[in-house]
Amino acid sequence: MTPEDIDRILSSDDMLEPASGFASDVMDRVRCLADEPPPRRFPWLRFGFGLISCLIVAASGTVLAPRLEHSVIGLCPSLTSLSGIEPEVGYAVAALIVSFGFISYRKLRVTT
Amino acid sequence: MQEDDQDAADAALVLAGDLNAFEGIVRRWQQRLVTLAWRFCRDRTLAEDMAQEAFFKAFRSLSAYRGEAAFSTWLTAIALNSYRSRLRAEGPSLLSLDPARTFSMEGDALGSLIRSEGAEAVRKAVLTLPTRYREAIVVFYFQEKSVAETATVLGIAEGTLKARLHRGRELLRHKCINLKSYRAMGNKEEQ
Repeated sequence: MTPEDIDRILSSDDMLEPASGFASDVMDRVRCLADEPPPRRFPWLRFGFGLISCLIVAASGTVLAPRLEHSVIGLCPSLTSLSGIEPEVGYAVAALIVSFGFISYRKLRVTT
Repeated sequence: MQEDDQDAADAALVLAGDLNAFEGIVRRWQQRLVTLAWRFCRDRTLAEDMAQEAFFKAFRSLSAYRGEAAFSTWLTAIALNSYRSRLRAEGPSLLSLDPARTFSMEGDALGSLIRSEGAEAVRKAVLTLPTRYREAIVVFYFQEKSVAETATVLGIAEGTLKARLHRGRELLRHKCINLKSYRAMGNKEEQ
């Protein structure tokens, strides 16, 4: 078989006729697509705020925790038994408060 | 009005909110997109499914059409990308003229291959080529041998396309020599 034969065969390939309802099927699905709400975008702004808040909390915790450790324990003698974990508890509470703060702020902006 | 102008006008209408204008695009292009898909898979049901998916992708991307390229080139490129992903998801083609894979076919596939018309066997042999050569050959003949349009659709330089076409045809010729020997073997068995 020569390259010319191959060229001739490939050039003479037929067109395929689609099924009779093909166009209307496509249009039905396109109409459904058009009715769907646009896909929600990733909330980059909120993600950025969250990430920055976490970094600030982590950095401040790293700097402040060693300085405050003894004074906090001095103020609350009953917490002495928790001395190994209280910085982590503090960060978790702070992160929770900041998160709730953001959520409430967004809700307030949406409702007003 | 030229067909490309008509398509661009319909695209503008769709973007302005007239969804029915997309039907004009679908009706003008359905045969060509189904045919292009068919040439990549030789399976009618799969081809129609692939063409439908290509139309949805085109509909979703219509706002990105800037009119820099002809509408036909833009739509064919979208269809090609869509077919590429679908065929990748479907896995490698079962059809092969390589001896090791041909003999591992189920049922009477080898027999039907041997008995099939030579021309159709050559077209099916295109499906067994490596992706880069297969795409080059299928799109080149689909675009009625226009090197410039094929290169634009594939997103490669014309020189690269010519090299791929040359290599693809060489591989195809080699596969068809194998096919010829199988057909001779099949005829002998039938006698």
